[in-house]
Amino acid sequence: MLTTTKKSVDKTDTKKQTNLFKDFDPAEDKILRIIDNDGKVINKELMPDLDDETIIQAYKHMLYFRTADQMAVSYQRQGRMYTFPPCMGHEAIHAASGMNMRDQDWLAPAFREVGIMLLKGVTMKEIFLYYMGNEEGSNYKKANHVLPISISIGSQFLHATGIGYSVKYQKKDELVFTSIGDGGTSEGDFSEALNFAGIWKVPVIYTIQNNQYAISVPVRNQTNSVNLAIKSYAFGLPGIKVDGNDFFAMYAIYKAAAEYAKAGNGAVLIEALTYRKGAHTTSDDPTKYRTKEEELEWDKTDPIIRLKKYMDEKGIWKENEEELIEKYKLEVDKQFEEAENEAAYKLDDVFQHMYVDMPEDLKRQKSDYEQFLTWKESRK
Amino acid sequence: MRYIFNFPDIGEGLEEGTILEWHVVKGQAVKAGQALVNMETDKIVTDIPSPKTGTIVEIFGSVGETIKVGSPLVEIEIEGVLGAAAVAETKEPEKAEPKEGDEEEGAGVVGTMELAGKNAYLAASDEGSSKPKTEEKSISKVLATPLARAMAKDLNIDINAIKGTGPSGRVTKEDIQNHQPAKRAADVKQKAEPFTPIQPAEAYTYEALSQIRKAIAKNMLNSKQSTAHMTLFEEVEISDLMKIRDKFKHKYAEKDIKLTYLSFIVKATVHALKKHRQLNSQMDMENDRMIFKNYYNIAIAIDTPEGLVVPVIRNADQLSIMQIAHEIMLLSDKARDRKLTMDDMKDGTFTLTNYGSIGGIFATPVINYPQAGILGIGRIVKKPVIKNDQVVAGNVLPLSLSVDHRIVDGGEASRFVNSIMEYLSDPMLLLME
Repeated sequence: MLTTTKKSVDKTDTKKQTNLFKDFDPAEDKILRIIDNDGKVINKELMPDLDDETIIQAYKHMLYFRTADQMAVSYQRQGRMYTFPPCMGHEAIHAASGMNMRDQDWLAPAFREVGIMLLKGVTMKEIFLYYMGNEEGSNYKKANHVLPISISIGSQFLHATGIGYSVKYQKKDELVFTSIGDGGTSEGDFSEALNFAGIWKVPVIYTIQNNQYAISVPVRNQTNSVNLAIKSYAFGLPGIKVDGNDFFAMYAIYKAAAEYAKAGNGAVLIEALTYRKGAHTTSDDPTKYRTKEEELEWDKTDPIIRLKKYMDEKGIWKENEEELIEKYKLEVDKQFEEAENEAAYKLDDVFQHMYVDMPEDLKRQKSDYEQFLTWKESRK
Repeated sequence: MRYIFNFPDIGEGLEEGTILEWHVVKGQAVKAGQALVNMETDKIVTDIPSPKTGTIVEIFGSVGETIKVGSPLVEIEIEGVLGAAAVAETKEPEKAEPKEGDEEEGAGVVGTMELAGKNAYLAASDEGSSKPKTEEKSISKVLATPLARAMAKDLNIDINAIKGTGPSGRVTKEDIQNHQPAKRAADVKQKAEPFTPIQPAEAYTYEALSQIRKAIAKNMLNSKQSTAHMTLFEEVEISDLMKIRDKFKHKYAEKDIKLTYLSFIVKATVHALKKHRQLNSQMDMENDRMIFKNYYNIAIAIDTPEGLVVPVIRNADQLSIMQIAHEIMLLSDKARDRKLTMDDMKDGTFTLTNYGSIGGIFATPVINYPQAGILGIGRIVKKPVIKNDQVVAGNVLPLSLSVDHRIVDGGEASRFVNSIMEYLSDPMLLLME
């Protein structure tokens, strides 16, 4: 992807994006936004230079993410899959970051990042396998440089910093992408990772997907800071708050961040302001802690509707959306059935992948578990 | 062919759900993914979609009815599936149908982590170590299913006291249920009646518990629940001691020190403790051993307006009576001014409570856990005593000794009190040792 002409473009961009972080200083609680809720461009000079094809492609990505997401919840409700964390509402962030990642770039994902993972080459089948509890779901056959999903809150930030350090040390042309939720910013991992990111100037793009809730805890109970991007100050990193439901703003910032990192300047922290339209997971019921009115208010900012309005205004969307969704549903269903028909994983899979030679305590755990399974079987 | 769709566990470890609304009727054609029924569970209210495309031939349960996880919700006639394929389809739910005991497997984003217990400790830096070390000692919690843990908590049952019948001694739901009947009567007693005012609101004044009151309550309960209290009463004639005190109290007063009887009693107690080491010990049942203390820190219970405090005279065996008297003064002043620190109050090995300075003859003092005993000192009473077969006026000091009967037998408790009495009735002995 890196051609000589592109490199020369990069240089001018580097100058421009440095200003971007300055112009949208989180200390002043500024927010980067390019289109408004009606899809109208309100910040023309920052509009990324994308052709119609790419914009249409981005919209299709987002549509596919949402379809797959809704179907995953449905499968869980049918008792065919275990707990699933819906991504609905995060589509613009996922599409924009995924589209700015190259094959050699790294992704250290948390659990609400199906879209980004898909654009890195992970398949829905693998995602489904993961949420069926199958180890094979973390064995991405086609995706390069994607870590397994990190369920423990915040640890992926540390992994990303570590990988970034290694990449920098080896002078490789690779970037690292990672995300955390608003709740995750209260974890020690968040601060530890960013502290070293600042010191080492690692080529990592850290995103806070601020979807307003950490399960049921609203952001106002999470921090007394004016926003989350301002936390970058503490670590000596550029930080910026971006409208996470504005695809163009997200695309612009990821492009700028990637170029900033590629130029050897180090990491950035992006707060992407969004709204978790679904539940925290399928075990959660958001009606218990937020109001319908609030949800309707955020619906006005829906990333998919906004991008659609932009395309309609420009007259570039010509496809039949309903047919497209039906096509996606068939595709997702096909992948789900493939996952359902996958052989059950073996007990060994749980224990054998971490070490070449299984240590004693793992051996013991394995034998304990075998004992447990025998006991469980005997109770049937 | 027919397919029976059983109510799946749509949360994590759910048992049942209640039907709020049916979206389909018998005979209706449905598509896979189409909402069948709206269910309310412990965690969520949600639509349950159909896993199959077909026709509804049977609906199980009506609105308001509770359906157990794994019980049938609907029966669907599946289109275009015949013979063996259909049989396979109907057998399929086996996989998803949660069986009892599945709660152990409920891993998830917000799921509960099994706590490491016996035979299942979490390896960290010890990974790969060839020997499982401190297997018995490091146990903090028994192995149990999250459900069993929650049940035990609800029922106020100490789960650690239950012998599990699951693998590796894992405590299961059944174990808790079986444990219940025996415990239940006690539980009912233990649970305080919820306070329901029968008088108008102004008949009560509510006050939040102070930190000191909370600490007292916790310590008192802990002592009574963790030890076996036994109290012994004695009387000692102390006319000789009174003479000595009267003689010296002015000399002490010149140095601004108040010579109290308590100073002598501290000294006498320390001497007696040296001869009866059980009273200066504590029991460590977790490790099956006694801990004898080779130092003598005498705690003194002091009454303050805020509540009881118990500061400590450190190394009382190395102090003269004057020094002890001085210490008592300092601690009392500090207690009165609320200036006692945690350091002033820790590491006591035996406690004295001098309630007699206010009033009271005998008492059953509560042991300052984990100490082995507490000596209560009553009010000195003038009363007839027999000396050399003659009835004379005596000055009698009542003593009440509470001991932890796990540690101190009755005989030893008596010998200890005798020893103290000897020193107090004949104070010269205090000088001779």
